[in-house]
Amino acid sequence: MDTELTEVRDFLAATPPFDLLPAGVLDGIPARLLVRYYRRGATILAPGDRSDALYVIRSGAVDLVDGQGALLDRRDVGAGFGMSTLLRGGDFKNYITAIEDTLVLYLPGDVFRELVAQEPEFEAFYRSRIRARMRAAVESVQATDRGVPILKTPVRELVRRPPLSAPPTTSIRAAAQLMSLGGVSSLLVMDEGRLVGIVTDRDLRNRVIAPGVDLALPVSTVMTSDPVTAPADALAFELFFDMAARNIHHVPVMRGAEVLGVLSSSDLARLQHDNPVLLVGEIRRQSTIDGLVASSQRIPELVTQLVSEDVTAHQIGRVVTTVGDAIERRQIEMVEAEMGRPPVPYCWVVLGSQARHEQGLSSDQDNAIILSDAYRPERPEHAEYFAELARRMVAGLAACGYPVCKGDVMATNAAWRVPLGVWRRTFSEWMTTPHADALVNASIFFDMRALHGDSGLFEALREDVLAQAPSSERMLAHLTKSAVEHQPPLGFFRGFVLEKAGEHAAKLDLKGGGVAALVELARVYALENGLPDVNTRGRLEATAAIGRLSERRAAELTDALEFVSYVRLRHQVRQHRAGVAPDNFVSPSELTDEERRHLKDVFQIIRRAQATLAARRPLHYVS
Amino acid sequence: MSFLRRFGPDGRRERLRSGVAAGPLRAYLDVPFPAASTPVESLELLAVDFETTGLDPSRDHLLSVGFVPVVGRSVVLAGARQFVVRADVEVGQSATVHGVTDDAVAAGVDLEVAMAALLEALTGRVMLAHFARLERRFLSVVCRRLYGIPFACSAVDTLELQARLVTSAWRQDPADGELRLWAAREKFGLPRYRAHEALTDALGCAELYLAQVAEFGPGRAATLRDLQRR
Repeated sequence: MDTELTEVRDFLAATPPFDLLPAGVLDGIPARLLVRYYRRGATILAPGDRSDALYVIRSGAVDLVDGQGALLDRRDVGAGFGMSTLLRGGDFKNYITAIEDTLVLYLPGDVFRELVAQEPEFEAFYRSRIRARMRAAVESVQATDRGVPILKTPVRELVRRPPLSAPPTTSIRAAAQLMSLGGVSSLLVMDEGRLVGIVTDRDLRNRVIAPGVDLALPVSTVMTSDPVTAPADALAFELFFDMAARNIHHVPVMRGAEVLGVLSSSDLARLQHDNPVLLVGEIRRQSTIDGLVASSQRIPELVTQLVSEDVTAHQIGRVVTTVGDAIERRQIEMVEAEMGRPPVPYCWVVLGSQARHEQGLSSDQDNAIILSDAYRPERPEHAEYFAELARRMVAGLAACGYPVCKGDVMATNAAWRVPLGVWRRTFSEWMTTPHADALVNASIFFDMRALHGDSGLFEALREDVLAQAPSSERMLAHLTKSAVEHQPPLGFFRGFVLEKAGEHAAKLDLKGGGVAALVELARVYALENGLPDVNTRGRLEATAAIGRLSERRAAELTDALEFVSYVRLRHQVRQHRAGVAPDNFVSPSELTDEERRHLKDVFQIIRRAQATLAARRPLHYVS
Repeated sequence: MSFLRRFGPDGRRERLRSGVAAGPLRAYLDVPFPAASTPVESLELLAVDFETTGLDPSRDHLLSVGFVPVVGRSVVLAGARQFVVRADVEVGQSATVHGVTDDAVAAGVDLEVAMAALLEALTGRVMLAHFARLERRFLSVVCRRLYGIPFACSAVDTLELQARLVTSAWRQDPADGELRLWAAREKFGLPRYRAHEALTDALGCAELYLAQVAEFGPGRAATLRDLQRR
């Protein structure tokens, strides 16, 4: 006798999660199933039904519709339904309707419960929390083990020995002797266990020997006070970028107030050679726009390399932005050198994805100038200087591959090249009497970072804005409305993207349907709590840290952002390789089944967070 | 006993059973066939398929038997069985159709064993087959040989149901081949199977039956009588 139902068994063997079952278990399942058939249009389950079975679609397709008639999902061959009541108990809550003639395999509840009890992977497939799935998804996309050590190493792991230190009263000569004996190129100046300064080989040359300073003077007279430090868990690449950008060579690594050691730029040599830090160094040495253009052309290759290696989208965003920052900074130094000193202090600020450290391969330039209030628009030497500086910067950045902003959010726009006082007024208007239109365009200004010049101007503006934002109810309501208006799709159906109203789109908009919604949610969290963070992940973590967002939700959103950003970067790298201009529209055929499932989780995480936010901040008084 | 019962399949069953000794066929014939008035919703059937060396029961041999029960609107896979029958024949070229090789046939069960299992599963049920005439003819020959009397059953034929659906709903004369099992299934979007394995074909027939009954709707397929009407 032969009872093997090969067709049914082979189908299950190719259908998650049955594909995870051991062959011996799988073989026994077909004989415990029923087969049922539903005509197109038939209601298979309705709210209130007492269903105790898992239905697996063998052919055809069904719609999952809630009690109010809203489409929740559309499922076809291999997908299941009915599991929610199996896992939770109680009545079925939604409608399942056959949208095509549909054949289903009906797995009785007792068989399901037996599998859940005995097969951990089967259980995990149905019972795993969305958060755990998202975490696993993020880990799975970085499955390669060709790691780039520099991008993953916390600085504390590079510290080789405890620091050498001396009190401020130590003479310069004694300090130099200590350094000589210790064989180090820097000495920390500590006052009662507190770091107050640092002296380096170069300081001894430039500040002592060359000017002929008395070696008996205390070392505090030639030290660099309050030196730049790094927290122990900072990532090495971030620190080295920072050092390259500031042109400093020694940085104390701190755990709280305790100094663990000092990292020097030569420690970099111990890390691998082929890394973005070298590109930043090269950019700093460029002296012509053409040179910067040449450096900038290496960015797509850099991203390609990073995507192929074990690096997170978050880190790639930081790297790409840091390289972009270096280009922009070098450029503005060159422009200033050509044009002479600015007539009044100013701060060059970047906005949007660059401010958030989230640049990718298709990022526009978004920038502005905060002028000192000493600026006089009626004085031509003021007005013309900054107009010309902005013109040269925007043109130079465009030459370096940063397209001009379609919304004209650039320093060349006179509206975004104004004194601090005007900026304050503008923000104040946005926050007190927001018109929907004005605010949609303005939201980018809430993601702002000082790049060059007098950062005090930026700090002053930011302080003002952050003080006012949490109580700007109408503005927050508008930003919330905008954040929840980015409707992620429901999922995928037969090679299409299934949109909320049931339409099928050919491509998934990773920006509009994913990244942008997350960015806007995080922006609302940050502004309503007056948090200074601009990086989306930073905003989520900071909001969770003050208890205004659950750790669970913050982790979900962070992982969702990482996953969808990674898919976006990988898509853009593929386009770059194919010689196509990078964009945000990915075809479902580019994705594996598993990635489509993970993206569906991303959409759900976004929808849940949007629903919570919308419920908390009523939108009824927003027109 | 009503007229239909006397002269319908069940009357034939009554007449035959007195002439057969105790055994699988007698046990099968002792249980009445489902009444013509049985609602489709609770009707019990057994989808049956044979693989044979050819189409002539007097010359050709039964190679394998597959069957699966249908209860109302569900195929009950727990009852699915397939037997390869040991036969003293060369399978020959027909192996290319049904895939039953000489080796499999040599390792098969005796025809009596397969028949006993089939008759037991069919007891009290309606036989469901695609082109049921073929299965019935083979069964008659086999029963005469094994038990000395012909075979009787109540049958529903998915090919005939398909012909009714095609002629009434689409046009008068079905085109060549469109009534075949796999062509009929395709019309309902049912999955493609590797055809010609007795159990696979029986399952294919059972699923087609579910689709046909759904297509007729309760108005045109309320009882067994509606399914057996020519």
